[in-house]
Amino acid sequence: MSSGALLLLLAVFVPVGGAFLLPLLGRWSASARNIMAFLLVLVSLACSTRLLLTVLTGQTAVYKFPFPLGMSFILSADGLAVFMAVVSALIGAIIVLFSFDYISHYENQNEYYFMVVLFLGSMTGLVYSQNLIFLYLFWELTAFASWRLIGFYRGRKDVLRADKAFLVTFFGALAMLIGFVFIYQQTGTFDLAAMKGLALPGLVVGLILCGILSKSATLPFQTWLPDAGVAPSPVTALLHAAVLVKIGVYVFARLFLMTFVLGAFWHTAVPVIAAASALIAAGAALIETDIKRVIAYSTVSQIGFIFLGLATGSLVGVVGGLLFILMHGLAKGGLFLSAGIIEQNARTKDITRMGGLFATMPVTAAAFAGCAFSIMGIPPFGGFFSKYFVIAGAVDSGQLWLALTFVLGAVLTIIYLFRLFNLIFLGPVKGIAAREGSRLMVFCVVLLAVLSLGAGALINYPAMAVRAAVAQMNGIVK
Amino acid sequence: MIYLFIFIPFLALIVINLLPQGEGEFAGWAALAVFSAQLAAAALAACGLIGLGGGWLDQLLHFRLLSDRTGLLLLFLAGLVGGTALLSGWRLRGASRSNFINLLLIALTGINGLALASDLFSLYVFIEVVAVSSFVLIALFRERSGLEGSFKYLMMSALASVLMLSAVACFLVAADGMSFAAVRAALAVPGNYLARAALGLFLCGLFIKGGLVPFHGWLPDAYMSAPAPVSVFLAGIATKAAGLFTLVRLVRLAPASADLSAVLLLVGTLSIVVGALAALGQRDMKRMLAYSSISQMGYIVAALGTGSALGNAAALFHFFNHAVLKSQLFVNAAAVEEQTGTRDMDRLGGLAARLPVTGTTSVIAILSTAGLPPLSGFWSKLLIVIALWTAGHQFYAAIALLASGLTLAYFLSLQRRVFFGRLRPELENVKEAGAALLLPALGLSALTVGVGLVFPFILGMFIK
Repeated sequence: MSSGALLLLLAVFVPVGGAFLLPLLGRWSASARNIMAFLLVLVSLACSTRLLLTVLTGQTAVYKFPFPLGMSFILSADGLAVFMAVVSALIGAIIVLFSFDYISHYENQNEYYFMVVLFLGSMTGLVYSQNLIFLYLFWELTAFASWRLIGFYRGRKDVLRADKAFLVTFFGALAMLIGFVFIYQQTGTFDLAAMKGLALPGLVVGLILCGILSKSATLPFQTWLPDAGVAPSPVTALLHAAVLVKIGVYVFARLFLMTFVLGAFWHTAVPVIAAASALIAAGAALIETDIKRVIAYSTVSQIGFIFLGLATGSLVGVVGGLLFILMHGLAKGGLFLSAGIIEQNARTKDITRMGGLFATMPVTAAAFAGCAFSIMGIPPFGGFFSKYFVIAGAVDSGQLWLALTFVLGAVLTIIYLFRLFNLIFLGPVKGIAAREGSRLMVFCVVLLAVLSLGAGALINYPAMAVRAAVAQMNGIVK
Repeated sequence: MIYLFIFIPFLALIVINLLPQGEGEFAGWAALAVFSAQLAAAALAACGLIGLGGGWLDQLLHFRLLSDRTGLLLLFLAGLVGGTALLSGWRLRGASRSNFINLLLIALTGINGLALASDLFSLYVFIEVVAVSSFVLIALFRERSGLEGSFKYLMMSALASVLMLSAVACFLVAADGMSFAAVRAALAVPGNYLARAALGLFLCGLFIKGGLVPFHGWLPDAYMSAPAPVSVFLAGIATKAAGLFTLVRLVRLAPASADLSAVLLLVGTLSIVVGALAALGQRDMKRMLAYSSISQMGYIVAALGTGSALGNAAALFHFFNHAVLKSQLFVNAAAVEEQTGTRDMDRLGGLAARLPVTGTTSVIAILSTAGLPPLSGFWSKLLIVIALWTAGHQFYAAIALLASGLTLAYFLSLQRRVFFGRLRPELENVKEAGAALLLPALGLSALTVGVGLVFPFILGMFIK
């Protein structure tokens, strides 16, 4: 077995397998379990980072175990997969670190760490899977883990909404699986590498899009995401900001940019869906008063930008879309984690009952502002570059109206984030004058803000990885 | 020595009853030994480690047995589910205990006969053996609800018996004997309408026996009113053996035809959808499981409707999964009922905190039934869908697949109302069930997970 194949297996199965040991470890010692959880994610991150270096030199790594009926288990590290794996493991690791203090006084911690690590491992598995069946397998494992995580507090509302999230994404996935079975009948295999350049009929694209849009919480399947805000904040950060919702986007890139040929109709239809999603969600974010629902709607809105970038098919747009995954993950993760600190210390999620928190929690406020700037797209934060490229991509492909719609979406983003910041941190104190969170928690949000800034200031480095990914795509109009 | 599969349960029944009963401990252990021995023997035989010849008895008896992998599968499952049912009824005392054990052994004799019968008439006789012992089992406690459920089952079964017996009579005229080979030959003759009519009658009888839509009326009542360990046995193996397994045998006798396939697909998909929709609205835990059972059996019938080798293999695989998963879920239901005294899901909640093993194993079982990878239920459903799709029944494949969403929907509602969520204050003192219920639950979920993980590796062997 080559070293690349070994790294692939380690990146996936260390967290997936190790997750099952965490509840056992937790019976013995809580801190050992926490550190172990963090280490498992770090191992995965290290393996993916090592693979990134391989990919940057123009090589790919593949692990293959043959099974009959076209169901061979194939893991493959190409530019897109490695980029995505590094992003999700990096943000995942920071979120696990944040959880140490945030979760420490709740019940069911064993299950929490088990599910978080299982989730991150499955995410890595999904990213590297080159076979539709195993992609589906990991896809559903993430759905299962998020079901348990959203229902973490076990209240009636929590559990109902966990069920809702699970059901919506499961139905979407089933529609997608019908599409996969159709492809199987055409090609006799589930191996993606054997399908390059296949043109799919519209119905099948539609079915697969149902799965993708439901996972990425895009119109018309978006409602589960704001509802799932009942979960603990690190979970919402993990699911809604950094990792889960990016699955849909990633699979879109994997299937329609790397493998199949997307018809001209979809190059317009998908951006139009994305535009509607971006605007409607931005409008909802403007009027919501629950801090986490505002940020969740903001996620729905920003995902629209990513879809725009990927679906127009222009080179600049795709680069922007991929960069957006990174920038949005970092910044939105930071926002959700800050919201967690605020929520825990102010004992409310209602922003109309907050205010003046800048005086009592300046560091969190600064980090929050940094992350918000990145989401708004203010230079030199990372979010600026990605947003600029995405809109430039739309212009590039000649869809000027779409580009203008998204500029409007970007303006709305600025408005609702300023409103949010204003209500929470400025003005007179209306509720509890909340203190800062624990050092570790504050460190995590500051780290995410700094990374958002750094990724923009040193845009060369993420752009290098993205360029390696784009070089291997075939669905791009150059 | 294949005859032993039928003789040993029967002999055990006689021996147990000849010995002094005492507290019934010995009878329990003896019966458990019979079930375990059958499980082991079937597993060894499937691996080719035990020969399945008739030996010298073949010279003596006119009665021939058929030993193939399909039959071995049923033998294996009968041992597994029978042992599980026995363990979940371990707490029974007095007359109901000895009745329970005796009836289980009689039913096991019947199921084993079904698995090995090589002619239609014996098949019919063994179906009746299983059915009669089931009637009594349902009414084990002689309560009003049990008697009612049993009576409904009896009435519907009587109708099925009439249909099947008429079919047997027709075959006597239309075919050259009752053996599978003769029936197959008769059905292959193009103009033999009597044989086809007989096939249709027999099929209708089996649909009633299996409880498939639209003949399903008796099944939820029977499962619900039966005592907990009995419902494990009924849902796990008894009705499946009498209805579905026989269906597998029968469908294989008939030459592939569009009509037969259309009937099976229609009844199958109807059962899938109606069962799932009905399950969504239930309050009683066992009633929901009963409707879910109808829905899952629909998958097996629909898969048989493809007529392809892959479809048959997928149907048998789902048969296996379904037996394991449903026994597991009924064992979980038994644990919940035993510990809380109710099956009304609206009066339960948050039990995972008090019944951790039961809660966890039931999560595994429901996810596997809904077809969540990598559990075993996913693979069988996937194979069924692929078989349907490649046989040109795309519409049915899509329905079958989307109905998994309904499956997940009703099972999530079960989870939410019973296990997930906050513990109700009045359930504060509930404790985990005893080892007799936990061991089978753990064993069966280990099987679910294990088969799911190993399946891709044995796929090649499996589709041959």
